Amino acid sequence: MSDVLSDAGSDSSGRQDEDVMTPAELIAKLEEAWLNEKFSPELLENKSELVECVMEQLTHMEANLQRTRKGDMKASVHRMEIDRIRFVLSSYLRSRLQKIEKFFPHVLEKEKSRAQGDPSFLSPEEFAFAKEYFANTETYLKAVALKHMPPNLQSVDMQKAVPEPCLDSFVFLRVKERQDNIMVEPETDDQREYVVDLEEGSQHLMRYKTIAPLVSSGAVQLI
Amino acid sequence: MDPSEVEFLAEKEMVKIIPNFSLDKIYLIGGDLGPFNPGLSVGVPLWLALNLKQRQKCRIVPPEWMDVEKLEEIRELERREDTFTPVPSPYYMELTKLLLNHASDNIPKADEIRTLVKDIWDTRIAKLRLSADSFINQQEAHAKLDNLTLMEINTTRTFLLDSLNCMYKLRSNLMPGASKGKSSMDF
Repeated sequence: MSDVLSDAGSDSSGRQDEDVMTPAELIAKLEEAWLNEKFSPELLENKSELVECVMEQLTHMEANLQRTRKGDMKASVHRMEIDRIRFVLSSYLRSRLQKIEKFFPHVLEKEKSRAQGDPSFLSPEEFAFAKEYFANTETYLKAVALKHMPPNLQSVDMQKAVPEPCLDSFVFLRVKERQDNIMVEPETDDQREYVVDLEEGSQHLMRYKTIAPLVSSGAVQLI
Repeated sequence: MDPSEVEFLAEKEMVKIIPNFSLDKIYLIGGDLGPFNPGLSVGVPLWLALNLKQRQKCRIVPPEWMDVEKLEEIRELERREDTFTPVPSPYYMELTKLLLNHASDNIPKADEIRTLVKDIWDTRIAKLRLSADSFINQQEAHAKLDNLTLMEINTTRTFLLDSLNCMYKLRSNLMPGASKGKSSMDF
């Protein structure tokens, strides 16, 4: 019985040749992605490989658990861990869906206008969801209000109707890799802009816009 | 962020337990644990320690910093300094609450520890309120908050961030041509 359950740990590290990450690192990365997505004002890059790998781990572990009827103690511990990981994963995906619903025309626009080689912001399922949401909202607005308007006012520009994400929101962050000379823009007219150095391990409160590229590269973590 | 989600993150911290059962190594996705032998201490994540304790399968060993003298020193230091002093653990509040609720029989002088930690928390939250106040008054654009824990940040998070964003929008609407009026106001 112990062999079956220990399979999950040793097996998967051989399979992940693209990632070369241990399962523990995988889960840590998922939690980082979860926190970043939760606290960022805009939809971040899609981490579908991460999600897929975690799903693989979970289904593998669950399959193992199915096979072992007895072994109450170990099975319950594994089950608790699976529940915890599943919570983080669902929360992450739910966070993304909420942002897609909030900013749907801009998200679709961004996806359409990206270059071929760039990583996509939406997974195929999320893209289908966004398009359907767009179509449904348009149909709804037409049926409820637009068709009763005078003929020249019967269209609505979604890009203008739906607010864009506010990139100037303040966020809390923790620095993972030291960054020098980050520009801080002034709040009022009589202040001048200045630069700060972000030391490793320090925590800061500043505008999202300046540190957005650092979030995507993984140099800072939103908290 | 919900306080229970901060607690969720705190539950990953490792604590020492003394099990009363034996079990060989467990290979969790997040790492290996064990083997468990009765009477020998082993490190496990807090979520597992609490579960085992509730099933009366172990005794929890309080962390080193959870000691009356050490906490008294930290409290005095916190009261003397104007800035935030380093904390014994980034999740000191959650650990105290969870361990004292579920394993107070394993922790000597539990009530005193509860009071001490609460005093430390109150002092720090008061400092946080003052510094948030001056941050907004002086309209700063950046703040360094090194020794703050996640739970403390979380108490002011929604209010502070929403007010800063509101103020920014009000200010940028005053400046001619600065904002194109595209950003949203969440009420």
